Amino acid sequence: MTPLDQLLLLSALTVVVPLFTGNRRITGPLATLLYTGQGLLLLRMAGLGYGSETPVSSAVSLQVLGLELHWRFDALSWFFALITIGAGLLSSWFASGEWAQRYRDSGSSLRLFHAALALNVFTMLVLLASGELLSLFIGWELVSWASFLMMSLGSNTALRYAMRYVTYAFAGAMAVLMGLVLVYTRTGSFEFQAFRDAVPSMDADTVWLLFGLFAAGFGVKMALLPFHLWQAKAYAETPGPGAAFLGAISSRMGLFAMIVVLVQIIGVARLVELPVPFTFLSGRDLLAWVAVFTIIFPTFTALRQHDARRLLAWHGIGQGGYMLLGILIADDLGSAGGLMHVFNHATYQAVLFMSVTAVIHRTGTSDLNKLGGLVARMPLSFLAMLIGIIGLAGLPPMNGFVSKWLVYRALILEGSPLLFLGAVIGTLGTILSVYKLIHNTFLGQLRLEHVDIEEAPSSMLWPMMILSTVVFVTGYFPGLVLDWIASVQAAVGLPVLAHHLGGVHIDKGGLDMIWVVSVLLAGFGVGALVFLSGNRSKRVHQLDNYAGGHFLTADTRYQYSDNFYPGLMHLIGPWYRKSFRWLEGGFVSTVDTVSQLMQGLYRHTHPAFYLLAVVVFALSWVMGGD
Amino acid sequence: MNELVLMVALPLLTAFLLPVIDRLSSLAARWIGPLVLLLTAIIGLSAWSQTGSGAITIELGNFRPPLGIDLYVDQLALLFALAVTLGTLLLWPAEGEQRLRQSTLALLLAGSGSGLALSGDLFNIYVLYELIAVVSYGLAASRGTAAGQAATLRYLIVSAFGAALALAGIALVYQATGTLNLAQLAQLAPTQLNNGQGLAAFVLMLVGFGVKAELFPVNTWVPEVYATAPARVAGLLAGVVSKLALLIIVRLLILLFPQPEALTVMLVLGILGVLTGELAAWRARDFNRMLAFSSIGQLGIMFIAFSIPGKAGVFAGLAVALHHLVVKPALFLLAQRWGGSLEHLAGVAKGSPLAAALFILLALSLIGVPPLPGFWAKLLVMIHLLEQQSSLYALGAWIIMAGAALEANYLFRVASSFYRREAAATPPAAHRTGDLAGASLLGAALAAAVFLIVPLADRIEAMAGQAADRDHYIQTVNPEPLP
Amino acid sequence: MNLSELLIELLLMPLVAFVIGLGMVLMMRKIAARLGRRIGPPLLQPIYDIIKLYGKRTQISHGLIHEIGIIMAVGGYVAAETLLPVPGMNGLADKGGVITLAYVMMIPSLGMALGVGQCANPNGSIGISRALTAMLAYDIPFILVIFGAAYVYGTTNLADIIAIQQQQGVSGWGLMQMPLLALAGMLALPAVMGKQPFEIYIAPAEIATGPMVEMSGKFMGGLFVMQCFQLYTAGVLYTTLFLGGGAYWITFLPKIYAVVAIPMAAAMLFPRYRTEDVIRLMWKWPVLVGLMGLAVAMK
Repeated sequence: MTPLDQLLLLSALTVVVPLFTGNRRITGPLATLLYTGQGLLLLRMAGLGYGSETPVSSAVSLQVLGLELHWRFDALSWFFALITIGAGLLSSWFASGEWAQRYRDSGSSLRLFHAALALNVFTMLVLLASGELLSLFIGWELVSWASFLMMSLGSNTALRYAMRYVTYAFAGAMAVLMGLVLVYTRTGSFEFQAFRDAVPSMDADTVWLLFGLFAAGFGVKMALLPFHLWQAKAYAETPGPGAAFLGAISSRMGLFAMIVVLVQIIGVARLVELPVPFTFLSGRDLLAWVAVFTIIFPTFTALRQHDARRLLAWHGIGQGGYMLLGILIADDLGSAGGLMHVFNHATYQAVLFMSVTAVIHRTGTSDLNKLGGLVARMPLSFLAMLIGIIGLAGLPPMNGFVSKWLVYRALILEGSPLLFLGAVIGTLGTILSVYKLIHNTFLGQLRLEHVDIEEAPSSMLWPMMILSTVVFVTGYFPGLVLDWIASVQAAVGLPVLAHHLGGVHIDKGGLDMIWVVSVLLAGFGVGALVFLSGNRSKRVHQLDNYAGGHFLTADTRYQYSDNFYPGLMHLIGPWYRKSFRWLEGGFVSTVDTVSQLMQGLYRHTHPAFYLLAVVVFALSWVMGGD
Repeated sequence: MNELVLMVALPLLTAFLLPVIDRLSSLAARWIGPLVLLLTAIIGLSAWSQTGSGAITIELGNFRPPLGIDLYVDQLALLFALAVTLGTLLLWPAEGEQRLRQSTLALLLAGSGSGLALSGDLFNIYVLYELIAVVSYGLAASRGTAAGQAATLRYLIVSAFGAALALAGIALVYQATGTLNLAQLAQLAPTQLNNGQGLAAFVLMLVGFGVKAELFPVNTWVPEVYATAPARVAGLLAGVVSKLALLIIVRLLILLFPQPEALTVMLVLGILGVLTGELAAWRARDFNRMLAFSSIGQLGIMFIAFSIPGKAGVFAGLAVALHHLVVKPALFLLAQRWGGSLEHLAGVAKGSPLAAALFILLALSLIGVPPLPGFWAKLLVMIHLLEQQSSLYALGAWIIMAGAALEANYLFRVASSFYRREAAATPPAAHRTGDLAGASLLGAALAAAVFLIVPLADRIEAMAGQAADRDHYIQTVNPEPLP
Repeated sequence: MNLSELLIELLLMPLVAFVIGLGMVLMMRKIAARLGRRIGPPLLQPIYDIIKLYGKRTQISHGLIHEIGIIMAVGGYVAAETLLPVPGMNGLADKGGVITLAYVMMIPSLGMALGVGQCANPNGSIGISRALTAMLAYDIPFILVIFGAAYVYGTTNLADIIAIQQQQGVSGWGLMQMPLLALAGMLALPAVMGKQPFEIYIAPAEIATGPMVEMSGKFMGGLFVMQCFQLYTAGVLYTTLFLGGGAYWITFLPKIYAVVAIPMAAAMLFPRYRTEDVIRLMWKWPVLVGLMGLAVAMK
């Protein structure tokens, strides 16, 4: 048994164990322990993350219908698996203590939750390990249905959106399957290598078709425009730790598959050669623009959300655009940025979902108009969210900045001002939106009913603190992650980024986060000294406020929360036209109309008429053929 | 070897004797039907291993064809004969006051179905087909409701027209060749039937037999009959009888009509079947109708698959057909209690978790989610369709994909309504043990197939190879040369 | 360069920036006064103001985040100054670059926003809402300009940008090479500095609204210090990108003062813009000019 087999076996065991331990308290800790074991097994393959070129293969292989199925881990799989297992571990930990108790008391099945979480991790590992196109598709479908299971554990709304997800995901899967079979009929094999060898000899139309099928199919999972409508609500309504897990990694599986097929096999260079008819764009540009619009539109949709979880989920869609954009630049910097953003996003997004879940755990709501002022009550949760939003907004000193910097830098080097502008607009929108999130949750007026709440329990705080530390440390020393990224780049066949512990050294303007963060911290130190040099300040109670010359009593609600950016909305509000909703609705009504026609066809009262008609037609056709 | 004849004879005989037996002992009458079917199934199974190396022909009364009637037993025929027998056993429709009549009809169905599968000449095929038709009218209308009878009447009209057309086709064949024995026809086909008359005969028979095989557009009876007939009967018709008719068409195609035009006609009608069936199902608001439309779509896929020339087509088509043979009856067993408006199914998962889980398993396999068997069948179809390098076949592949996407939507819309938090005002009654056990059995078979996929695929491929081999058929039967 | 020299530079750069920034604040007030036919404050008035604010007896803190917010506001700019090369001192120019600088410049805004948020005054929150909206408005043209400059010079290292411009004398300045981008930058500059006519979010004239509403004593003082840095950063950045930076303080200082003074003098004449008008204005002219400039520069 290779380490990969052991890992997959243990992962499968993690799915089974909760089924037996059921709703008992032990389930959560036990699952957490098993994830730790998975993590250790993954570390046994750590060579992959540090430049080892030989993939770890699985001893299992199958021969079905004359098609060979096999599985292996390379640096790319290892990198994604690291994030997956990490997210699984911390989500499961988060879901072990008080949260589990509350969840169980509300009549939900803890057994199902932990099994679903473990199933997600397991199926993702299977997908990541896929060694040729067929096992990739199988893994892909398994992941889709596992996340469907997870999503449908939530409320009725979640179920409705999970349903939407299934529709999109399965249609996407069919596109992928079509692509696979097309490849198979061209090459006679599902092997990656055979596909790669065949690409140069394919004509432009075929590559376009394959590109379209794969990009659309995998794009559904990433919630690329225009297939994004399902994701936000489905993720948001998933039970808290599940949402953290899904938000962290689930939709990145789409990116993984895209890297494998579009970058590793077809190659971005080939996409650049594909012209879009009647324009001066190439296939790659087209997808890059899709990525940029995926950054902008969902981010500004997030800005309008009233629910903390939905806000985060919408941002999750937007951030996916940065990853794809970076990878499509396909130079050493851009692709490193895109790949690194996968890791970074997973860390801060998990922190954010966890901190929102902690708030829900204590207050019972994630409605941004019904919270406020919790900072003094839940300071550590606040800290976690603060670190998370700085990461999400992509500001120094957190890790989100480094990956976005790499993408920006690559765009400047490449000279794509509009893509760059789009990416920056997304970042700016994110800053607005995340400030609203933290302001409406933790700052501003404390509600009377929240005066007595306590900090989140330690089972929730630990994962949050660990992740926050990761967000900060990998921002301070991005080289820690860039080591893995370099291995991934080598494995995928992209130019490898030369880096050091603090970042990258480029003659024409590099980045050294150790210096930048140090000087920032020193700056804060100076700022603190300047602050302390002033006269002593007097701390007033949180509820001691006035406005407009009147003292405000705590029972007056004056929190500024709804329609947080009226000036902006005054201008861009009319731009929200729900065009994609409209598009989707239009498609559905078309199907509905056609469907009605078809039913009418079957309701026809003179069935013998069809019989005669078809006979006459068919006879005249075959006789005419003579 | 002649005991295989019992597969046909025994159920028919029992059916005729049943009224007499009932006079003697009603208990015996109740049990003798299933017992006989069990016995015939055992006979069939015991013969299974002998057909592995090659087909067998059984000459009734030891008259060699074309004088005598012969049964042609290859693995494919035997499998379908077994499927009819076991399917009838599993979906044994007898219940309530009409028990006796129902038992008789079911036995007749099993006997004539087995006969149809095994039969080696066109005349017998026609006769047995007609017998099945009559039996199925009786079964379909057995609930006695006005709607049921109206639907059955429509069914009867189409079916009768269809039979007439098929007969006309057979007449054309006879006129061209002077024989109805399949082996002999196979010998003569390249010379005598490879022309417009042959094609015309094929079209007539395709449309005629297509009525039962739910071929577009002669399948308009399907939704109403399945919605009004007892669910078990619908399961039998959709799961088993439709495949029998399909089997006949495929046999004819392989042996008699190798012309590409014949395949094209089937392909086009198959594509239309998928398109109309899946689209109509998308809007269905009634569980049985949804299953009925989905069955039309699935049969369409089979027509598309069988229209692929050569062994590949038979292999792919068989895989889809066998998969559907397991899944659809199981779904109709669940429909026994869940029939009627889909709105009543909100929240049923709480009351019947097993049934809900089964439905999901079956639905997953039906739309082709790996690693369930439905996926491999679909993959096979797709690969072989695209290998044809023809735009019409490629269109078939696209339509199948689009149909699957639609199917995923409507099946899972239903499945997710099972898990809705608020229950419907009038939730359906719990499933009877028999239905649930039957469905579970089929579900378990499906799940087991996941792990046995490799040997299963090999078996089916071998079976397809045997069935697609025209010369093998001719040599096995070895008929006397025509005067 | 050895480490100790670098550390000394890092200490000196914010200090120099602060002193120059104080001068800029003074200059602005003088300009405003002269335009209003007043004399304006004396030379040391900004220092008096800071000492007064820090020394006030009534200092109301609304909690730890209130204090940390102010510390971030000042500290962020202190850090930003080390990324901005000035004559004789390159600091961390090669380790951050202009993109990093642009993002570090957002940290003080975030700090201020957090601090104001903790005050639980709805008027303060409204001010932040306006401030962030304004940031969204001016950062788009600003980033366009930065992109154009970085692309044309082929580097994001500000020290290199200066060197490239100085090699060719005045004709090599960004202003000459890409006048449209320079114009776009100049149009966006008053908003970047948060000054007239785009100062609605600070609302200095209205006591009861804006972020300053809960700021007393040294909190206000912190924001005052931040303002010094803000003016300095904007001036130096623009000078570095378009006016050849400075080899010597003697040429550098006039440039940066002029960069701050010229748009101010013009902008003071305009009435204050509402928030949505800020966006409309910023997204229209500077962006349009900037895009045209880019098109020209990249051809």
